[in-house]
Amino acid sequence: MKKTIGAILAFLSFICAPVVGYGQDVKIGIIYPLTGSSAQIGKDAVAAVNTALDIINNKHDIPGMPLAENEGLSGLNGAKVSIVVGDHTGKPDVGVSETEKMLNDGVHAMYGAYFSSVVAAASTVTERAGIPFVNGDSASPKLTSRGLKYFFRVGPHDGMFTQLMFEFIQDFNKKNNANLNTLGILHEDTLWGSDSGSTQNKMAKEQGLKVIEKISYKASTTTLTSEVQRLKLKDPDVLLPSQYTADAFLFLNTAQELDYNPKLLIAQNAGYVDPTFISTLGDKAEGVISRSPFNTDLAKTIPMIGTINEIFKKHSGGRDLSDVPARAFTGFMALAVAINNAGSTDPEKIREALVNLDIPGEALIVPYRGVKFGPDGQNEAVRGVLMQVQNGKYCTVYPYELAACDLVYPMPTWDQK
Amino acid sequence: MLDKLSLAKKEPVWKNNNKVLYFLGSTVLLLFCLPFFNVNSFYLHLFIMIFMHSVMAQSWNVIAGFSGQISLGHGLFFGIGAYATSFLFTEYGITPWIGIIFGMFVSGIIAILIGIPMLRLHGHYFAIATLLIAIGFSLVFRRWDLVGAASGLWIPILPTDSWVALQFNSSKVPYYYIFLTFFLVTFLLSWLLSRSKLGYRLRAVRDDPQAALSLCINVSNYKIIAYVISAMIMAPMGSLFAQYILVIDPATVFNIEISIVVLLITVLGGVGNIWGPLLGTVILIPISEYTRIYLGGTGGAVDLILYGLILMLICVFRPNGLISFFNRDVIDRKQKR
Amino acid sequence: MTLEIILQAIVAGLMMGLIYALIAAGLSLIFGLMGIVNFAHGEHLMLSMFTSFWLWSLLGLDPLFSIPITILLMAVCGVLTHYFLIRYILEAKMLIQICATFGLSIFIRSVAQLLWTPDYRNVQNPLIEGRIELGTIYVGQPQLFASLICLLAFICLYWFVTKTETGLALQATAQDRHAAEILGIPSDKMFALGWAIGLGCVAVAGSMMMNYFAVFTDVGINFALFAFVAVALGGFGSIIGCLYAGIIIGLVESLGGLLIDPSFKLLYVFAIYLLVVIYRPQGLFGRY
Repeated sequence: MKKTIGAILAFLSFICAPVVGYGQDVKIGIIYPLTGSSAQIGKDAVAAVNTALDIINNKHDIPGMPLAENEGLSGLNGAKVSIVVGDHTGKPDVGVSETEKMLNDGVHAMYGAYFSSVVAAASTVTERAGIPFVNGDSASPKLTSRGLKYFFRVGPHDGMFTQLMFEFIQDFNKKNNANLNTLGILHEDTLWGSDSGSTQNKMAKEQGLKVIEKISYKASTTTLTSEVQRLKLKDPDVLLPSQYTADAFLFLNTAQELDYNPKLLIAQNAGYVDPTFISTLGDKAEGVISRSPFNTDLAKTIPMIGTINEIFKKHSGGRDLSDVPARAFTGFMALAVAINNAGSTDPEKIREALVNLDIPGEALIVPYRGVKFGPDGQNEAVRGVLMQVQNGKYCTVYPYELAACDLVYPMPTWDQK
Repeated sequence: MLDKLSLAKKEPVWKNNNKVLYFLGSTVLLLFCLPFFNVNSFYLHLFIMIFMHSVMAQSWNVIAGFSGQISLGHGLFFGIGAYATSFLFTEYGITPWIGIIFGMFVSGIIAILIGIPMLRLHGHYFAIATLLIAIGFSLVFRRWDLVGAASGLWIPILPTDSWVALQFNSSKVPYYYIFLTFFLVTFLLSWLLSRSKLGYRLRAVRDDPQAALSLCINVSNYKIIAYVISAMIMAPMGSLFAQYILVIDPATVFNIEISIVVLLITVLGGVGNIWGPLLGTVILIPISEYTRIYLGGTGGAVDLILYGLILMLICVFRPNGLISFFNRDVIDRKQKR
Repeated sequence: MTLEIILQAIVAGLMMGLIYALIAAGLSLIFGLMGIVNFAHGEHLMLSMFTSFWLWSLLGLDPLFSIPITILLMAVCGVLTHYFLIRYILEAKMLIQICATFGLSIFIRSVAQLLWTPDYRNVQNPLIEGRIELGTIYVGQPQLFASLICLLAFICLYWFVTKTETGLALQATAQDRHAAEILGIPSDKMFALGWAIGLGCVAVAGSMMMNYFAVFTDVGINFALFAFVAVALGGFGSIIGCLYAGIIIGLVESLGGLLIDPSFKLLYVFAIYLLVVIYRPQGLFGRY
């Protein structure tokens, strides 16, 4: 009896231990999916954050990149930034658990988390605690319409991405006197794909375009033959897929098998801009267009991107930068710049610094015009580009003022590839 | 024969073990006083998750432990509860308390609709059927725009705490007490069930359906009753979860993992025993939380490797569940059979 | 919607169905022998796909030629699984067996993630590529070869189990383990053999799929789901049932997706299973 009481008391005292104190350095909590279906994306994002950390904490000669030349944050007398990494496994309650733990460990801000549902739940926790939550890579428009004061999104949301695609279609119609007006939407059924698909559906109606086929399929599906057959039957002018890597491969392989040749394919990045997309599919990838906030080919014109990519490869086990890690990097740097500007780890001062943040576009590796948050916490200076795979490389084709190549229309057929 | 009968008659209705009662009483008191010890919100969250999973495991225990039908899709009632309250609140502003009752009602109906055709199936066939139905619900809800499709329902954050709207933003303590209350009530109900005629009949159905039938126990009706009861215990947990996290989507609340976790907890704790789910929860939830927190940040899934190993080890070395560490009668009784 | 399009769907569904059938056959064999549902079956499929990939990546062997090696490696894996885990849970309750194989699936998936990262891998330029055109029906060569080889493997399996002495010994052990032991059939070795063959089937399916599929740590989950449905639909304990069930599933998925709505094609498969078991609670050919 005494033993059991003793054991219980010991157990309770262990779990009710006081919070460990923290030092001068800046501590930021990072949550990403590190297991489950999006684990590779999560790992890349963490590698991107580590890249940013490397740049901030060490001396690097990267002209144009803020916080690179000094060790640590000059605004806080050289204080180093450290991160605590947690795996939210894609579930909002786990995200809440990780966030609570990190808040209790004394983080000064939270960053993450790719899954919009997790971001929503975790940012509720930080809002209640008065700690800023910065997000670089979650696309659900709802995140910035909740009236939160401590939530800031550096990257674009689905509406903005899709807006770009539709602007392109309208511009294309005007420029070439064409009449593209039927759309096919193919999306996987997780939160990301579904949000993307429904945003596209809604916007299409607003723009007067007809969606003649909208297919949602179970993510990581075993086969896509019925889907391809239906699309081939309906033959929309423009196909808008939202797919992750494995499904993108399967789709293109099946399209080749069944000889389905869409005239125009504009993908919502993800699988279509995976670092191994072109190398794996080879010729089959020709003509595919994807929107992206990032493109490693830009490294030729913007040397900063090349340098950052090299550092990223060290942290990611050899993988190149791609869409999500580029956005994650940018978001984290924006947070670091804000903390630097605040000159303090006080959450209110950090929040104020974020509200007043104004980073010019030249300091970024993504083609945003800058980082400047609106009253709802959304960065209003975002911009994306559309790239097309031509001759085995991605080439920017839209907006026309940033384009490096002319659009190839219609997409080459399977026999031509 | 007569000896055994007189022995059985002499057995007390419940084992009046004073030590156990004091232990239980003091634990309950401690749990009620816990928030006053200035426990930080992470630990409150951990306890809330423990309470929630305990109730969910008890719910599964009713159908699997008491009546012997293995359901691999129990998570669907969790999802229904979650969506019931959230939908009523976000669309019509109806208080979640009524939503909870609505969720229980809908779960009960669905349990009857599933139970009537499916409960005649044996073991594995029933398990697969429940699995498919649960996945089916997940697929349908991901495509159903009325309830938000795959983005689900996001409950608006209210400016002030509200018992009516079951939302508390300044502190977790009210959530803690609500979950604790549901936990204790469910535990009491399960204990009453196990002592009641219904409970005994259910166990008869589990142990030997043919013998039960010969005693005029309508096996199929009782199986359905067990299924409905377990569904109605599960649903409120989904509802409370929705009010706690404020974000629900099909991938979270209709996830097959919920069904699996509930199975794991109950089996590893000890099936058919009201303490089993509790023991399983108290051991497994902290293990999975702490392995993830301390080992999960690397992206190498080390925490899950450990979790899988622990599961296999428990199955190999303690096939009667962890309860066998405590309850010698359970083992003895089983060996005598 | 012409007849040709429907025929195309039938052909595609049939080919996919044969692959499902072989994967299910492995599962069914293991269940028939020892009553254990292998919840780690999808992970075993993933392992065989990765084996095929690494044999290509490190040794340059095309997936078609590395099949024998993959079968051998997966058979060893099966025997190891039996000796290190399954042996201990043979007498345990069904629930414990479910938990154990489930724990195994988490373990295998996580070790795979640790060793190989969650990234997607592909075999590039496999030997079997491109498509064949039979009239207006397009048949992808990888899919065609995969389904034909799976059918061949299935026939070999069936012949082995019903016509050879070892196969009959397996059946005897499945029917009554203790009676078989009295007759001198070592059940422990039979179980190990069953695991070896079961995972060998999965090895064949996985290798052929590498010609047109990407492998990643979670790839097995959806295939395992179809395998379970196929085994249950065909009836637990019946190998020929797997063939019929696999084909039915492939066809329903393909035709339902084409004619009704691809977004719900899984529901059609589930509905078929539920309808069948309502009227035939033991599945199509089940013994239990």
